Amino acid sequence: MTEQKAEKPKRELPLSRQLVNKQTEDVYASAWAAKEKGESIGWSTAIFPQELCETFDVPVLYPENNAASISARHFGNQFIEHTEGEMKYPINICSYARLNMGMADMMKNGKFEGVEPAMPLPTFLCLANNSCTQLMKWYENLSENLSIPIFFVDCLFNYNEEEPDAYKNKYVRSQIENNIAAMEKFFNKKFDWNRFLEVQRISQVNRKLFNEIVALNTRMPAPLDGFDLFNYMSCLVICRGKESTTEILKQLKKEVEEHIANGTSTFRGTEEYRVHWEGIACWPNLGFNLKTLRKYGVNAVMNGYVTAWDVAYEPGDLNGMAKAYQCSSTNSFSTPSIMDMRSKSMKKFACDGMLCHVNRSCKLMSFHIFTGRDIIEARNKIPIVNFDGDQSDTRVFSEAQFENRLQGLVEVMKENKGGK
Amino acid sequence: MSLTDILEQFAYIANNPNAILKKYIEEGKDVIGCFPIYTPKPIIDAAGAVPMGLWGGRITPTFAGKYSPVFTCSIMRSCLELGMTGRYDGLKAVIMPILCDTFRGMSSSWRAGVTDIPLIALVHPQNRTDLGAQDFLAQEYLSVKLRLEKILNREITDESLHESIKKYNYQNALVMKFSKLALNHLDVIKPLVRHYILKSAQFISVDEHIRLMENLIEELEKLPEHVWSGKRAYFIGITAEPDELLQLFDKYNIAIVGDNLAQESRQFRTDYEICETPFWSLSSQWMHIEGCSTVHDENADMLEKFIIKEAKECAADSVVDCLMRFCDVEEYDYPDIAKCCEEEGLYCLCLEIDQSSEDNGQTLTKIQSYSEL
Repeated sequence: MTEQKAEKPKRELPLSRQLVNKQTEDVYASAWAAKEKGESIGWSTAIFPQELCETFDVPVLYPENNAASISARHFGNQFIEHTEGEMKYPINICSYARLNMGMADMMKNGKFEGVEPAMPLPTFLCLANNSCTQLMKWYENLSENLSIPIFFVDCLFNYNEEEPDAYKNKYVRSQIENNIAAMEKFFNKKFDWNRFLEVQRISQVNRKLFNEIVALNTRMPAPLDGFDLFNYMSCLVICRGKESTTEILKQLKKEVEEHIANGTSTFRGTEEYRVHWEGIACWPNLGFNLKTLRKYGVNAVMNGYVTAWDVAYEPGDLNGMAKAYQCSSTNSFSTPSIMDMRSKSMKKFACDGMLCHVNRSCKLMSFHIFTGRDIIEARNKIPIVNFDGDQSDTRVFSEAQFENRLQGLVEVMKENKGGK
Repeated sequence: MSLTDILEQFAYIANNPNAILKKYIEEGKDVIGCFPIYTPKPIIDAAGAVPMGLWGGRITPTFAGKYSPVFTCSIMRSCLELGMTGRYDGLKAVIMPILCDTFRGMSSSWRAGVTDIPLIALVHPQNRTDLGAQDFLAQEYLSVKLRLEKILNREITDESLHESIKKYNYQNALVMKFSKLALNHLDVIKPLVRHYILKSAQFISVDEHIRLMENLIEELEKLPEHVWSGKRAYFIGITAEPDELLQLFDKYNIAIVGDNLAQESRQFRTDYEICETPFWSLSSQWMHIEGCSTVHDENADMLEKFIIKEAKECAADSVVDCLMRFCDVEEYDYPDIAKCCEEEGLYCLCLEIDQSSEDNGQTLTKIQSYSEL
């Protein structure tokens, strides 16, 4: 181990957060229990049609979510070092991939030291490339190293601003159907279409609830510190089709409404400025980012990342579901389409500025920041600043640069508010 | 035409794409820019236009930084720079296959930065074993045809598409024949010469390249066989550039005996099947591509096996990976390729390629070390 475990805050967590933690523990526990019994365990990309494995009742874990957790706990470097060193992968590839491929290889070779949350090695992989193309390469490498199959849904990038053509949707639907057939053989289980419909229904309830909660943060001052959304987002990543998520989100909604009624907020400080955070969190630097934002009275009330799991369709409509997975991740759209969403969202959330994480691991999100800046400046007339960082690799982020850029943003936002 | 004249022509074409673009425009021809790697060139040819490869250039981009992060691969950054600074002026459109994340981003960057050259983007299906994949691609190519017809204001007929498909298959056959023939003439077909011959296909019409290749093969067949006593390298990667890199191999008596470079043999290895409809023919090529970092294959170790098989078939003693900096798809493949080469007794040399970098000191050391083995 190369780093000391970070000090955890002593404050008691709200009930909704306690439930999130319990849910995560349960998901990992069920995967480990399956391992004990020699049953199937999946690793899945974050926006794969989770409805399939949920219907089959097969445990699935999510390496992107796991990498984020491990990075936030400052345990990621040992795996990244293994991937770059012993496994000889170049430093330029995604740090989630470097972390996860290193961890998988160390587990396979008995070198894993039990860092939490630990995932059991999978027996199959679920891959959807709606978030990026690197996921495909990452999973190809896992598949080869672990000699396990991939269930793949190729989601197609939407390069035009218009609605995707019907023939594209037909291909995505075809893959979902063919994956169901292939999974039936692999799991040696019949697919229960009634249960599938139920999972679809629960998934829709959950995404709607999450959207309602996010929308409550349009209140001024916001009832939530925007960074809290990163924590609750995990329910949609790892348990989008589970009723336990419904319970958590109902509880969270209740807590947020109480904050609104009491005029309180989870944002510790005075909300002087409201900004949109663009990009994935710098998980290893989450604490510093949060403290620094608070220091300047800045609440990142909204970010584009947390809405990536808003996979909207009518239960029972497989075409609609196929289209939703093709269009869910913001990374499956061109920059003008995404910036159109951002621009509207920033108006709705009354953002005074935009803080953009040029994430060394995520080329596509970084491209959007570079090309989209002009669009936002022209439409929203708010200041935008970039800072360099990474979702897991601790070598990219600079505390001084972050604070310096934030100071610059605050100065302009202050001036725009008439110097107040 | 003498062999020397033919080789000089290839060298001129490979080194002067901008002059060739201007010549075509002066002649009143329509030219369509083709981003790497797999653009449906027969559609362009069938429209009576010239497909011209866009592979960037040896420049240090400045304007491109407005629309692309610094960790973008140098080919795409320099393409954007050349587009933004007017070097591609005169192209009627560019076609961009969205094969990686950089292309996803670049499609918007191009539209923002190069507003007067329309972009025709397309996506290839990566889940090739799915029954819906080829249907999708045939439709996608049809969509490219429709968009191109609108820009060029002319119809592209099925007959002309069938004709163009045949021409491209014939070009493939000629290039593959040349690659084998070159193994008997490694004293003449030196690394840089070979590179120019294959690269030149990017910048001229398929008819012109076919004529040159026919002449080249005819002249090579007249030469006595040469027994090569130096080292034999099989090249992989996106491009093997700049010229100085290949000159170093020549200097140290290392021949290139085959390649899986995106700019070179990968362009010519897979034919279009002859089918009833042209779009089914066009889409068939993608379904059969093997050994390419940008194409998903259900067999996870397909790429390494392909490279080892090819390298051994041309009796290579090494695999030289020209690893394009910031090219994710290639970077993910490198460790398994290196491991496989080691297991198969092939020396694996990894050279970092960056169009905007002048320093090749490290490369020189690596090539020297290999030559001394």
